[in-house]
Amino acid sequence: MALELDRSIIGSEFDRTIFDPVTDAEVAEYAAASTEPQPDQTIASPTFVVRLRGRRFMPSNLPPDLGRAAFDAGKDIEWGAPIRVGDVLTAVSTVHDIYEKTGRSGSMRFLVLRTVITNQRSEQVAVIDQRMMFR
Amino acid sequence: MILDLHTHSEASEDSRAPVETYLKWLARKREALPIDGIVLTEHRQWNSHADYRALEDAYGLVILRGAEVETDYGHVLVYGVNEDITRRFDFTNVRLSAQELIPAVAHMGGIAVPCHPGRPTIGLCEHYETKPPIDGVVAVEALNGGSRRGENERVHALIERYGYHAFGGSDSHLVSFIGICATEFDHEIRTIDDLVQTLFQGGYRPLDFRDQLRKVS
Repeated sequence: MALELDRSIIGSEFDRTIFDPVTDAEVAEYAAASTEPQPDQTIASPTFVVRLRGRRFMPSNLPPDLGRAAFDAGKDIEWGAPIRVGDVLTAVSTVHDIYEKTGRSGSMRFLVLRTVITNQRSEQVAVIDQRMMFR
Repeated sequence: MILDLHTHSEASEDSRAPVETYLKWLARKREALPIDGIVLTEHRQWNSHADYRALEDAYGLVILRGAEVETDYGHVLVYGVNEDITRRFDFTNVRLSAQELIPAVAHMGGIAVPCHPGRPTIGLCEHYETKPPIDGVVAVEALNGGSRRGENERVHALIERYGYHAFGGSDSHLVSFIGICATEFDHEIRTIDDLVQTLFQGGYRPLDFRDQLRKVS
C-alpha cells in the first residue's frame, strides 16, 4: 500500500528570491549578533545563510491531509562556497520530501523544504533542508 | 558474541550518527562496551547497495543490516531483508499489517520481530490489549535503550505469557548511545543468515551496559 499522503508536489519549486548584494554592514552586524569569529571582514560566517529569507516560506498547495498544526522540526545545512561582501545570492526553494512516521504520541507527517542558495558565479553557497512537522 | 541489534545511522532521517563514528566510539569504550558488532536498522527503508565491508575490516567489528518498519501493531525490526520482501512490502508505508508481514517475512527467508513492545502507540503490548496476538512472533526486543522508565518492564509479562525469546538493542540515534543495550549470543554470528537462523532458534539474551558505562566514565 502506498502512502496515503499526496506526494505529487515533491520537487515543485515554490519560491525563487534574488537578494540585494551582501554588504559589509550586514556581514559585520551578523558577526556581532552571533558572536562568531570573523577573521576576514569581507567573508561572512557560514551561518550567515540562516539570515536569508525568501519571499515565501511554505508552498501554497500543500496536501490538505498533511495536518493543520505545524512546528519546526529542525534543519540541516550543507555549506559550500563562502559568502563574500558584494555577492548576489539567489535562493530557490522546493518541496524536497513528504513522509509519515509513527511515534509514542501517534502519527506525524513531515514536510521537508529544500532551499539551495547560489551566488552570482553559480557556485552553491548552501543547501538548507527545513523540516516541518504536522499533525 | 555480543551484537547491538537495533541502531540508526545518518541514513535515518532522525539520526545524525555516521556509521564510522559509531565504530570509533565502540573502539574507545571497549572496556565498558564489549560489543562485537552492530545491526543497522534504518527507519522505513532498505538500501540494497550499502556496503560496510571496508569498515568491518578497519575496525574488526561485524556490521549487519536490517530495517525498522511500522505496522498496525507498532514498530518491527526486519532482518534478512531481500528482494522478495521489498517487492511485497512497501517499507515507507507506516500502516503495514503485522499479521501479514511477520509470517510472510519468515516465509521469504527473513525474520520480523517487534521492537520496544512496551512503548505506547508503537509497541506490541498496547496493541495486544485490544487485538489478537500475531501469528509467527518468535522474539521481541525486551530491552530497548531508547525506552522510558517502565516501558521495558511492561515486556516481561508479554514474554512470560507468549513464550517469546528476548533480545536487546540500543535503538541509538546518537553516537554515545551505541551499544548501551545489546544481545549476547551463545554462538558466533557472522552473517545476516546466521542472525536470522539464531533469532528463530534461541540461545540469546538481552544485556544492559548502562551501569557499566557509568562506572567506567
